Amino acid sequence: MSGTIHVTRNDKETVIGVKGRFNFEMHSQFRAAYQSDSGDDNQGRRFVIDLAGTEYIDSSALGMLLLLREEAGANESDIEIINTRPEIRKILETANFQRLFKIA
Amino acid sequence: MKILIVDDDPINRTILQRLLGKEGHDVFTADNGRDGVDGFALHQPDLVLMDIRMPGMNGYEAAREIKRIGPSRFTPIIFLTAVTDEEGLVQCIDAGGDDFLTKPFNRTILQAKIGAMERIRQLHARLRLQKEELELHQERVHQELEVGRHIFSHIVRAGNLLDAPCLNHWTSPMTLFNGDLLVASYNPSGGLHIMLGDFTGHGLSAAVGAMPVADIFYDMTAQGFSIGDMAEAMNVKLLSIMPRRMFCAACLIEVDHRQKSLVIWNGGLPDVLITDDKGQVVQRVVSSRMPLGVARMTREDRKVEILEMRPGYRVFLHSDGVTEANDRTGSMYGVERLESHFDGTLPPETLFHTILDDLEQFRGDAEQTDDISLLEIVCDRAGEEPRGIEEKRQRTAIPPTSWEASFTFSAQTLKTVDPLPTVINAVMNLQAPSGHRERLYTILAELFSNALDHGLLKLDTRTKTTPTGFIQYYTEREERLARLDEGSIRLELVHRPRASETEDPEPRGGEIHILMEDTGSGFELDQIHTQLQGNTGHGGRGIALVRSLCHSLEYQGRGNRAKAVYRWTV
Repeated sequence: MSGTIHVTRNDKETVIGVKGRFNFEMHSQFRAAYQSDSGDDNQGRRFVIDLAGTEYIDSSALGMLLLLREEAGANESDIEIINTRPEIRKILETANFQRLFKIA
Repeated sequence: MKILIVDDDPINRTILQRLLGKEGHDVFTADNGRDGVDGFALHQPDLVLMDIRMPGMNGYEAAREIKRIGPSRFTPIIFLTAVTDEEGLVQCIDAGGDDFLTKPFNRTILQAKIGAMERIRQLHARLRLQKEELELHQERVHQELEVGRHIFSHIVRAGNLLDAPCLNHWTSPMTLFNGDLLVASYNPSGGLHIMLGDFTGHGLSAAVGAMPVADIFYDMTAQGFSIGDMAEAMNVKLLSIMPRRMFCAACLIEVDHRQKSLVIWNGGLPDVLITDDKGQVVQRVVSSRMPLGVARMTREDRKVEILEMRPGYRVFLHSDGVTEANDRTGSMYGVERLESHFDGTLPPETLFHTILDDLEQFRGDAEQTDDISLLEIVCDRAGEEPRGIEEKRQRTAIPPTSWEASFTFSAQTLKTVDPLPTVINAVMNLQAPSGHRERLYTILAELFSNALDHGLLKLDTRTKTTPTGFIQYYTEREERLARLDEGSIRLELVHRPRASETEDPEPRGGEIHILMEDTGSGFELDQIHTQLQGNTGHGGRGIALVRSLCHSLEYQGRGNRAKAVYRWTV
């Protein structure tokens, strides 16, 4: 029912791809995907959330993005959300998340 | 272990009693079925050894009776039998026996069987204990949830959602607690505030956030704050109490039937749809703000959309639970299907129920995955008296006393805050003339907005009479207020107790003298008449209303000084 997460990382960047349904059930998976990379040791690390394979996104998922932003250093964090389909983009924009994240 | 032996043969009884006594067990005996059952009830043994053929009640009957009277506690019964035929053994098990032992007794086998039964018995005892603990826990959780739900529903339902004739609403929580908050309440000047909030997630965790928000909503509405003020206060509260991953997508609406205006703030909810007298969407208010509890609000974030309310207008507001409702195949209801109802073919008054029926038909028996809410505002009915509002507030009578207060608000203050709620609260705390709050608020609000809009900002009320002028008026007002850098408004309040007209020596009420003076250039005296008295258009009606509420009202000076007297009695 819920989706799957695929992570690739190098020195500077962590790419988290979400396939399927991005909802509450993804919470611990998603958190695990970025947690080892966030915090003081990773100042300046870039996070890319790839939603190419995402079918659906709910408010819990938006909450997870906020949590990532917070733990990656709020305003100083560099987070980009890429490959958003129109429906998903609409949901992100309804919450005016373009003010907190780069959305492409 | 306590063991009960039921056997009519004294030799067998003696053998077993010795054998088991040596092993350290407490042994009780009975020589027939009836006495066996009585002995069981009396001694509460851990194990029963039961002979089959006995005079009176036989072993099978006694076993059944024992299992019947002691069902909550597992007591193994081992049948003592000479028979070895399958039929006889099956009968033993059918009667509730747990094992059997063939005569003559073999000591080793007897010990082994007792040991095995003891293990099963302990397992049963442990399971039963866990089951009881679980049931107790479940009961406690249920009780707590019930209390929580009770408090929650009373806090949330405190307002006028059901009283306001212009509202139709439907909300369907996914669990015991609703993560969609739908509240409505009248403000002191008779306008209606409505809020729909959709918290992240569902159930208890979502509902917990709804309680402080509902509290702020009712409190600030009653005090006369604007929806922009409320959005900001709720945001501050939620930022301080909620975990970062939780927030509240919300829409706040003020329906002011006197000003014929709709004021809307949308942060994260689906488009608010405004339909005309043909049931077609004429305007939509898209979410232009972030949801509450995400980030600190800027000045820009407080800004609201002001729309003119025209005859036949309806407002439709929903949570995303509507468009994201699933059918059995997992596909979603969708925005397109929702908005297809607004093609102008349906009579506008049937829209609300048509949408609900269609949604229900679409969902069928599919499991609900989110809280669902839909609300309709019928603008034409916004001026109707609320249904059966009982006096909800507590009456506290403070004896009328003499006091005076004066405030001077500079241009800088006027640009930054709306001072009225604070002023009216001061009056209410000093004198608490219960039941007069709304009238006092209306008088002060009208005099104040006259002083500000016409005195200092020099806006012309007549602009508001045309639809384009209406929007222009508010745009203009905002711009001029932002540029305002001189002038001030002075408000003076003088309260005196008033002796009652009967012979009662106690004063039974008071008189508030209100002076509202601005530093503007005022009006030509004859214009005061046309502007303030004769005018029946938008806004201009305000002064006529003040006049009807006051004992007296006069304009002095160059028309920049209003003096009103309001009388109240307990």
